[in-house]
Amino acid sequence: MIKKLSLTCLLIVSFACPTFALDGTKLLEQVDRNLNPESYETYRKLINIEPDGRKKEFTLFSVKKGQEKIAALFLAPASDKGRSTLRVGDNMWLNIPNIGKPIRITSLQSVVGGVFNNADILNLDYTAEYDVEKVEERGNEYILYLKAKTKTVAYDRLKMWADKEKKLPTKIECLTEANMLIKTLYFKDVKDFGGGIVRPAVIETNSPLYKGYKSVMIFAKIKEKIFKDEVFTLTFMPNLESLR
Amino acid sequence: MKRLLLISLLFTFWSTPAFAVAGEEYTLDPTETEKKPYHVGGYIEFKPVLLGLDRDSAFYKLRFFNDPRGQNLLEANGRIQLEGSYEKNIFRIYAKTNTDLKSSYSGESERTTFYELYGSIKPLANLRLDVGKKTLKWGKGYAWNPVAFVDRPKDPDDPEQALEGYIVATADYIKSFDGPLTTFSFTPVLFPVYDHVNEAFGNNYKLNAAGRFYFLLYDTDIDLLFMTGGSRTDRYGVDFSRNISINFEVHGELAYVRNFQKNAIDTNGNRNMVEGDAVSYVIGMRHLTTFDLTTIIEYYHNGMGFSGNDMKNYYDYISRGYNTYQTTGNATILNNALQMSEGSYGRANSMTNYLYVRFSQKEPFDIVYFTPALTWMMNTDDQSWSLTPELLYTGITNWEFRIRTGIIVGARNSDFGEKQNDYRIELRVGYYF
Repeated sequence: MIKKLSLTCLLIVSFACPTFALDGTKLLEQVDRNLNPESYETYRKLINIEPDGRKKEFTLFSVKKGQEKIAALFLAPASDKGRSTLRVGDNMWLNIPNIGKPIRITSLQSVVGGVFNNADILNLDYTAEYDVEKVEERGNEYILYLKAKTKTVAYDRLKMWADKEKKLPTKIECLTEANMLIKTLYFKDVKDFGGGIVRPAVIETNSPLYKGYKSVMIFAKIKEKIFKDEVFTLTFMPNLESLR
Repeated sequence: MKRLLLISLLFTFWSTPAFAVAGEEYTLDPTETEKKPYHVGGYIEFKPVLLGLDRDSAFYKLRFFNDPRGQNLLEANGRIQLEGSYEKNIFRIYAKTNTDLKSSYSGESERTTFYELYGSIKPLANLRLDVGKKTLKWGKGYAWNPVAFVDRPKDPDDPEQALEGYIVATADYIKSFDGPLTTFSFTPVLFPVYDHVNEAFGNNYKLNAAGRFYFLLYDTDIDLLFMTGGSRTDRYGVDFSRNISINFEVHGELAYVRNFQKNAIDTNGNRNMVEGDAVSYVIGMRHLTTFDLTTIIEYYHNGMGFSGNDMKNYYDYISRGYNTYQTTGNATILNNALQMSEGSYGRANSMTNYLYVRFSQKEPFDIVYFTPALTWMMNTDDQSWSLTPELLYTGITNWEFRIRTGIIVGARNSDFGEKQNDYRIELRVGYYF
C-alpha cells in the first residue's frame, strides 16, 4: 500500500514539476522573439482561398517598432495599392488614397476580407496582449494557455502549441471568452530568413465561421530594422512607400 | 444555341482559376516586392444610370424647361483615372488625371483635368514639403466635412469618390512623444488665389494661409484647423475621433466661420445679403457588430445653409420663371435661377440639418467580398429623405461591381421633394490596373 502510494506521489511530482518549473511569460517572450525581432520590416503575401478554389492575393510591406507600433502598406493588387493601415496599441486606422484621410477601424474587421482580420494582419507581440495562464508539456510540444490582458484584444483566449526545441508556434486556436473557437492558425514551413531569424514562412488559417474558406500568409523577407516613432503616425501613413 | 455557347464560355472563364489552384504551393516571388522608382496605374469605370424624373419638381423645371423629357432618362457615364509617380532619393513627383465622359439626352461631353500634380521633398523622416495641386482632405466625418477648409466639398451620396485638389504649398512636420500625447503634427498650407490658380475658390489676388495641428492625445485623434487670407472669410475648426470600445468609434467636427455672407432671394428674385458668423458641425459614430454589420450615423448642422423659407422662395422663383416661360417664352428668370443653382442653391445638402444613416453588411450568407448596404439621408427640418440600397462585389481581383438605386421622397417645397429625380438606378463597373 505504502509502495503504491509512494509511486503515485512520485508520478504526480514527476508530471507536475516541469509545469511549475516553466516560466510561461519567459517562454512566450522567447516565442515572440523567435517569430520576429522586436523592430523589423517584412514583405508578406495574403491569399484568400474560396471553397471553389478561387483566390485573391494581397502583397504587403510592413514595419514594426517595439511592443505596440506596426504599419502595413499594400503593394498589390492594383485596386488596393497605396492603402495603408496603422496600429498603435489598441488604435487602428486605415488610409485609402482616394478617401485620403485615415479612418479608424477595429481589430475585428478585415481590410482584406477572408479569414484574417485586422488583428491578424497587424499583429503585435503576444506578450504585449496576453498573459500566460498555464503551460503544459505534451510530447515535444508546449501548450500555452493565454488570456487577453484587456477587453480590447481581438481574441479573449489563445491556445498555443509551440515546438519545444525551436520555441516556435505550430498551431494557435483563437477562442472567445466562452471558449468558442473563432479560428485556427497553422504555422508551417520553418525557413532561415537570415540575420538569425528562423521562423515559419507560412501561416494558414481556417475558421468554423467561414466554412470551406482558407487564408494564407506567406513571409518573403524579414529584416531587423529600427524606425523613427514618427513613422507610426496618421500623418506619415501616405508616405510609407518611402521606407522601402 | 449562341446563348448557350456564351454561357458555357462564361462558365469556363469563371471556373478556370479554381482548377488552376489545386495542388499549388504557396510562394511569394521576391520580384513582387522589389521597389521601382516609378509607378504607373489607373482606374476605368463604366456607369450607366437610369433616372426617374419628377416632372413637377423645381429642379426638373429648371433644367428641362426648354427641352422637356419623358418619365425616364438614360445616361451613360465613363471615368478614366491615370496616375503615375517617380521617386529619386528624397524627391518625388506624383500626377493623377481624371477624365469624365458622359453621353445623355443633351449629347456627349468629356472633361479632363489633373486631380493632383505635385512635387515632394522629404529632407527628414518627420518632415515633408509638397508643392502643386493636391487634395488635403481634412476632417473626420464620413459624409460631411465642415472643417475641410481647403478641399472641394464631398458628394455625400458617394463620399468615397476621389476629389480634385487645389494648387497649394504645404508641409507635414511630425513629432512623437512618450506619454498621453503620443503624436503631434503640423500641416501649414499656402493657398494662392489668382487668375488661373484656384480662381473659383473665392476672392481673387489673395495668398491665403491655412493650417492643421494634429494631436493623438489619450488615444483620441484631435485636429485644430484654420484658414485666413481673404479669399473666403476667416474660419476655425476642431475635430476628433476616438474608439470608445473595440467596435465603436465616435467622431465630430465643428467649424466656426466669421462674417459669412449668405445670398438668399425673396420670391421676386431680389437678392438679400445676410452676413453673420456661422457654426457648422458633424457628430457621428461608427459601430461594428460581431456579425460584421457596420453602422455609420452622422448628424450634420450646416450653419451656412438655407432655411426652409429661403428654399421655398427659391422654388417659388423657379415656378414663377417657369410659368413666365410657358406663357411668354421669356427665360430670363429661369436663367437667373439656373445661375444660382450652380452656386449655393444647387449644392448637395444646401439646407441646415441632416441625418445620415448607413448600414453595410460584410459578406452575408458567407459570400465573401460581397457587401450589401443601405443608406438613408434625411433633411430633419422638412422630413424629406433619400434611401439608397446598394450591392457591392469585389471578388475578382482589380474589378469592382456595384449596383445601387436611390429613392427620393419629399413633399412639395421640401429639400428632396424638389430634386430632379424620383429615383435613380445605376450600375458601376470599375477596373483597376
